[in-house]
Amino acid sequence: MGLVSGMFMGMVFGISLMAGWRHMMKYRSTKRIAKAADIKILGALSRDDLKKICGDNYPEWISFPVYEQVKWLNKHLSKLWPFVAEAASAVIKESVEPLLEEYRPPGITSLKFSKLSLGTVAPKIEGIRVQNLKKGQITMDIDLRWGGDPSIILGVEAALVASIPIQLKNLQVFTVVRVIFQLAEEIPCISAVVVALLAEPKPRIDYTLKAVGGSLTAVPGISDMIDDTVNSIVTDMLQWPHRIVVPIGGIPVDTSELELKPEGKLKVTVVKANNLKNLEMIGKSDPYVVVHIRPLFKIKTKVIENNLNPIWNETFELIAEDRETQELTVEVFDQDIGQDKRLGIAKFRLIELEPETPKEVNLNLLSSLDTLKIKDNKDRGSCTIKLLYHQFNKEEQLIALEEEKRILEERKRLKEAGVIGSTMDALDGAASLVGSGVGMVGTGIGTGVGLVGSGVSAGVGMVGMD
Amino acid sequence: MGFVGTVLGIFGFGFGITAGLVIGYYFFIYIQPSDVADPEIRPLVEEDQETLQKMLPEIPFWVKNPDYDRLDWLNKFLEYMWPNLNKAICATVKGIVKPIIDEQIPQYKIDAVEFEALTLGSLPPTFQGMKIYVTEEKELIMEPSIKWAANANVTIAVKAYGLKATAQVVDLQVFALPRITLKPLVPSFPCFANIFVSLMDKPYVDFGLKVVGIDLMSVPILYRFVQEIIKDQVANMYHWPKTLEVQILDPAKAFDRPVGLLHVKVIRALKLQKKDLLGASDPYVKIKLTDSKLPSKQTTVKMKNLNPEWNEDFNFTVKDPLTQILKLHVIDWEQVSFHGSFFFHLVVTLNISCFAQIGKHDKMGMNEVPLKDLTPDEPKLMTLALVKKKDTNDAQNDKSRGQLVVELTYKPFKEEELPKTFQQTKTLLVRAPDNTPDGGGMLVVIVHEAEDVEGKHHNNPYVRILFRGEKRKTKKIRKTRDPRWEEEFTFMLDEPPINDKIHLEVYSSSSRIGLRRPKESLGFIDINLSNVVNNKRINERYHLIDSKNGRIQIELQWRTKD
Repeated sequence: MGLVSGMFMGMVFGISLMAGWRHMMKYRSTKRIAKAADIKILGALSRDDLKKICGDNYPEWISFPVYEQVKWLNKHLSKLWPFVAEAASAVIKESVEPLLEEYRPPGITSLKFSKLSLGTVAPKIEGIRVQNLKKGQITMDIDLRWGGDPSIILGVEAALVASIPIQLKNLQVFTVVRVIFQLAEEIPCISAVVVALLAEPKPRIDYTLKAVGGSLTAVPGISDMIDDTVNSIVTDMLQWPHRIVVPIGGIPVDTSELELKPEGKLKVTVVKANNLKNLEMIGKSDPYVVVHIRPLFKIKTKVIENNLNPIWNETFELIAEDRETQELTVEVFDQDIGQDKRLGIAKFRLIELEPETPKEVNLNLLSSLDTLKIKDNKDRGSCTIKLLYHQFNKEEQLIALEEEKRILEERKRLKEAGVIGSTMDALDGAASLVGSGVGMVGTGIGTGVGLVGSGVSAGVGMVGMD
Repeated sequence: MGFVGTVLGIFGFGFGITAGLVIGYYFFIYIQPSDVADPEIRPLVEEDQETLQKMLPEIPFWVKNPDYDRLDWLNKFLEYMWPNLNKAICATVKGIVKPIIDEQIPQYKIDAVEFEALTLGSLPPTFQGMKIYVTEEKELIMEPSIKWAANANVTIAVKAYGLKATAQVVDLQVFALPRITLKPLVPSFPCFANIFVSLMDKPYVDFGLKVVGIDLMSVPILYRFVQEIIKDQVANMYHWPKTLEVQILDPAKAFDRPVGLLHVKVIRALKLQKKDLLGASDPYVKIKLTDSKLPSKQTTVKMKNLNPEWNEDFNFTVKDPLTQILKLHVIDWEQVSFHGSFFFHLVVTLNISCFAQIGKHDKMGMNEVPLKDLTPDEPKLMTLALVKKKDTNDAQNDKSRGQLVVELTYKPFKEEELPKTFQQTKTLLVRAPDNTPDGGGMLVVIVHEAEDVEGKHHNNPYVRILFRGEKRKTKKIRKTRDPRWEEEFTFMLDEPPINDKIHLEVYSSSSRIGLRRPKESLGFIDINLSNVVNNKRINERYHLIDSKNGRIQIELQWRTKD
């Protein structure tokens, strides 16, 4: 009897001990899990959440802007700035000088920094936004504002004049920097970083140019040339969809996915223009059209003299890298002695085109694209173009990529040989204003360069099609 | 019956409890799943008042305190990156632990020890606020509040004698408030030399430890005990003021400290070329070390001598013996004639920086010696053929320009003399040199920077220091209201300056000639030095007197021999 009751008691005791233990386990486990959930929620609070928690005692100092404020980072940055400025000067000099060389306008023979210091005012980060737009990528947008006092002196050598030191003053940079981190499964977990300036809102880079110990008027058009160079670098190198890809951390990865690649081909037919503005004193304007997607690849039609309703009917092909954000820029110029005047400019967003469907559009010309700068709303006429967008398949893409590389190399070679600068000067003094386009190379030296011209000297096909 | 019955009862109880435990274990624990599920996270807006009440103690610092900053963007970043980070960390841990296990197990007759599960879970660490402190020192201090409540699952299975036992760590939770200090700040990327991490509070640690499925941590006493031990252990190691130091930059590189001494003895020159029209040349030698901020040094001028003998000694501090180059120029000294001097005067008034180049000192020849050619601690007698220019195959180089005889010795500092860490450099810095008189010391005044100094007519500020009748001044910084000088001045003193004051005044002077107010004061400050002697070092920002908002940061040090 004792044995049985003892066994029974023992069993009940043993089972209840286990049950109790399990209860404790469960209790502690739920507590921990609940805490984990709380911490997770509190790591990403929204305004409504906070309102719910705090009720009437909602703290006034808290706001939830789209770009989260980073006051602490700014404080650190301003303290660190003297050291960063010193360290960065050398790096910038090294990395930007080759760029300046590549993008320098033809009228200038050498463009170098003779003094570079970043000043005492640190950039300010207005806010940071982190998004997950694509799988395996983290997109970080940094709203950067820098109204600094850097001292940048450019040593500019023009063809005729000896070196002129030009000072860049009152530099102001307002832009949103987009940094994309490509994730990897090995430490440091980031295989590459893509840096670009967001196109919308448009980056604002303001500065004033001043010649040291002289006047800028000594070389006419030099400030325009520098503006043009800076603009080209920014829009063609840094502004989205163009980007800088930096591989990180020794992991050999294929970054070609991240690089900007030719995506399609845009066939542009410049048909005609109507009611152009007359800027000539005697007679009528001598209009020609320059079209480009990237400023590095500009193409120009022939000049039709003394006509305000010119008909060109010329066809070009342009490469598009990112249909979603890129635009076709159409500029109408008046050929003139000295500098050519711009009669009007218009943009057309490529996203509005259906692939393989021809479209004819009539673009209203504006005096400038910057709405702040437009003084008059006078009608500057219109320009009619026909567009056909062709999406590349893999093979075509490769061919286009090779072609693009080849053209760039050709251009570089010509530049080194001094062909471009001098040829352009000799041919057409005004050409320099139109800029550093390959199209110009084509017009300047024709098919001799090895580019494929399409019969008319001006029409240079970007890709050797058919 | 009585006794036997009791014995049987106890025996039965013992048997029963064993059976009960086994059955209970089987029913309540063994069949429970051992994997860790993702916690269900409901939006906060849907929670009821009771859950919210429980959450209150965990409200992030940035909500409660205005001096904390929100870091939700970083949380988001971590969240997106976490799956990859988790995999990477786990793979690394496995890679490190596996060889160690394989090496150890044969000793213990264990068949295998392996990870059955190893994951840090789906919840990343979160930052619940960030506070930073601004000091006058060259450092950045930040205090992030880190909370990591993970649903981690680490299961280790041990197999021996055909049996398998598992140990599982679940629901690891670590809350800590570390202080991260980046110092000192240096002018080369990443702009700081060391990271110091220390904990400002005892960290909060909680986890479940399941051995063969039973959570040992749910025994209340054991839980307390283990938690206390962990907290104490971690706190002993890293609780402030104890720190974990991580070196980022090599101190010698970061601080630009010299690593050796170059001794140069200029002995003589032979067969120098005649440069003066009348009589022989008047040569002297100018010596300069590249990449060095020190000014060049020069010998005396030997009048009318083409085979001059100097026998003069010079010392240079060397920072990088691999890249630095010693440059020796033999120059003909010439007195400036009357005509020249008139012109000279004119130019000086126009541009002072031209000073050094004025007066036609003809270069008679030069040569270079890369320091890497020298054997350390071994004097090397060199006869250098003088050339016009280095590294050009100039035809003029063929012409004989004479020879220069020098003796060079490079003495690297001994390993132990070099400061190893930041702390050591610091202690080394504050000692006065050996030639300081007994009882005396060296007063060091470092003028860092000023802010909001405003001149009425111009703003080219510089600082004048007045101490015991001695006047010193910094360089002038042009057109700024926030100048940064970073200049150091030293005064050797025989006794501590307990009753002395130091007067610092910010002036602005115009570079333009003929302005009515060439110089104006932007504010001044008198500092009592007794505090400096007592504290050895004071680094503070003072409000300038006679200035609207101007402030100036001055560091004062009293260095003695011991």
